[in-house]
Amino acid sequence: MLTKSAASKFFWFGTLGCGIAFVLLTLDTLKQVPIQTKSQNLDKSAIAGKHLWEKNNCMGCHTILGEGAYYAPELTKVYERRGERFIKSMLTDPEAMYPGERKMVKYNFTEQEKNDLVAFFKWIGEMDLNGFPPKPVLGRVSSAQGKIVTALNKPQTWNQLCINCHSIGGEGGNVGPALDLVGDKFTREYLVNWVKDPSKIKPGTQMPNLELSDQEINEIVAFLSQLKGDSK
Amino acid sequence: MKFQSQKVAYYFFAVSMLLLCLQIVYGFIMGFAHMGFDVLHPIIPFNVARSTHVNLLVFWLLSGFMGAAYFIIPEECEMEIFSIKLAYIQLIAFVLVGVSAIIGFHFNWWEGRKFLEIPRPLDYLVVVDVLLFIFNIGYTVFKSPKKTTSSMVLFFGLLMAALLYLPGMIDTDHQTLDSFWRWWVVHLWVEGVWELIMGGILSFLLIKLTGVDREIVEKWLYVIVGLTFLSGILGTGHHYYFIGTPKYWLIIGGVFSALEPLAFLGMAIYAISMAKKGGKQHPNKIALSWTIGCSVMSFVGAGFLGFAHTLPAVNLYTHGTLVTAMHGHLAFWGAYGMLIFAMISYAMPLMTERKLYEKTSAIFAFWTTNIGMIFMTLAFAVAGISQVVLERRMGMDFLLVQKEIQVHFFGLILAATLFTAGAFAFVVNFIKYGLPIKKPV
Repeated sequence: MLTKSAASKFFWFGTLGCGIAFVLLTLDTLKQVPIQTKSQNLDKSAIAGKHLWEKNNCMGCHTILGEGAYYAPELTKVYERRGERFIKSMLTDPEAMYPGERKMVKYNFTEQEKNDLVAFFKWIGEMDLNGFPPKPVLGRVSSAQGKIVTALNKPQTWNQLCINCHSIGGEGGNVGPALDLVGDKFTREYLVNWVKDPSKIKPGTQMPNLELSDQEINEIVAFLSQLKGDSK
Repeated sequence: MKFQSQKVAYYFFAVSMLLLCLQIVYGFIMGFAHMGFDVLHPIIPFNVARSTHVNLLVFWLLSGFMGAAYFIIPEECEMEIFSIKLAYIQLIAFVLVGVSAIIGFHFNWWEGRKFLEIPRPLDYLVVVDVLLFIFNIGYTVFKSPKKTTSSMVLFFGLLMAALLYLPGMIDTDHQTLDSFWRWWVVHLWVEGVWELIMGGILSFLLIKLTGVDREIVEKWLYVIVGLTFLSGILGTGHHYYFIGTPKYWLIIGGVFSALEPLAFLGMAIYAISMAKKGGKQHPNKIALSWTIGCSVMSFVGAGFLGFAHTLPAVNLYTHGTLVTAMHGHLAFWGAYGMLIFAMISYAMPLMTERKLYEKTSAIFAFWTTNIGMIFMTLAFAVAGISQVVLERRMGMDFLLVQKEIQVHFFGLILAATLFTAGAFAFVVNFIKYGLPIKKPV
């Protein structure tokens, strides 16, 4: 039967062995992290962004690198997913971007601070994270409309901005109406004016003015106009 | 109560109970916010509620640990604590630091680092305060001719907990390294040295409540803390899968953290078999219920539910979702919350000489808190798993998924109400016990 001194030996050998291994692995990790995370791209602005991230306890709602709270979206790949303009609009006035939805504190960031946060997200997004976040592997339930939409070439503006509130073929947000048949409902001209300044056409609308360039507006309207019922 | 200085424990326990009540309030604020009722947002936004909720947990557990140490050490060492005055000073300082931190959170005074939100100047005060505590306890332990394994394990657990607070204060501009050091504190606390504290307190309670021979209890204590460190130290690797650290952590973290349930399983088997073995019929049955309950629930919450999402292939999808909240709630409650409840249930009748342990409300508290917490865990599990499938596996938008799972937070709130009723009964009982008697028997 196990004696007390044997038990004590088991404790000491196990603990010391694992402790030493852990310290050695830590030393190696400290050497490898700068390469794996592309520390050479961690410039002054991104560092300032990191400190802003901490100072405002963004982790108290969001996660980054999968760490934080689960009240607001994962932001590891936000730069790639939403782009600089969306991030900055969100930081300027969260409520304008998601009217009536889950709230974010409105911080009064300066232009420089917004740039710093964007730089921070950009740097985080470029890290090698051993496969995190994973790409969705299960197919979505797709409608006929969804298939047609997939075949169409979606402009970047749609993928980064519009999709947060609107959906086509079930893909996208539900803050604003679904746009599956929007091409039947409105003319090109109407759509151009609408996107340019929504509240001019319908005062009090919740859709923000996204301040798109003319070229972006042309692209997005050309895309939306194709969404018609008879295109099946 | 054999020693005058043991009654210091009462005040630590009182602080602990008060902070627990506050923690519950902030939990409800978050639960309602998740359901869409966020009227408090302008005053207490979610990140304030969360930091407060989590740090109150740390404060009430630490206060409970300190109280337990002040109760156990004199009895194990068979002498008064080095200085009662120092213990009171240290308690008051602890409360002041805690209160300043919590108030600070409401005014954006914090470090936005999960679990270590306490602002830097207060960190130094925490260290000083804990060192005073360690000195007070350590001086007693080493001056005493009687050095029991339980008291040594408890002391070293507390000492290591204090020392491991330091890596969290390493300054870095690098997000990955920031996380890396943060887990040195958080992981090595809860899945390392806090388990020493837990082992020390559990064996003290088992020796007192079951009457099993000290040699046997302490032999198995070595095995359990041995298993804890064997799995827990390298098990830190399960926090280093996806934060920009090398790939070998996937294997090391995966293998060793998969062994972590063994320590908890050991603890459960140990507590149950000691209770069966012991011929002693201790009248304080509810303290024994909490002791055994603690060992079982810590296995379920920390061991089993931790294992459920610790393997890299699973964690890739569950990392950063509500699945973590599911594991976290039952783990902290089972391993550390119930431990302090066990200690309080055992110590109060001795300190006050009132025997309230046979009251129905004490039994009600035990069952209601546990059933409530199990249902809370289930609500988090359903919400978390749905989130994983919809958001991570199917690629649905975050906000849409949150609307889908809102209903489970209603379930959470119902379960939390049950838990609160039990906790309330426990606190009311605590108050009814009254102040500790002046002179020891």
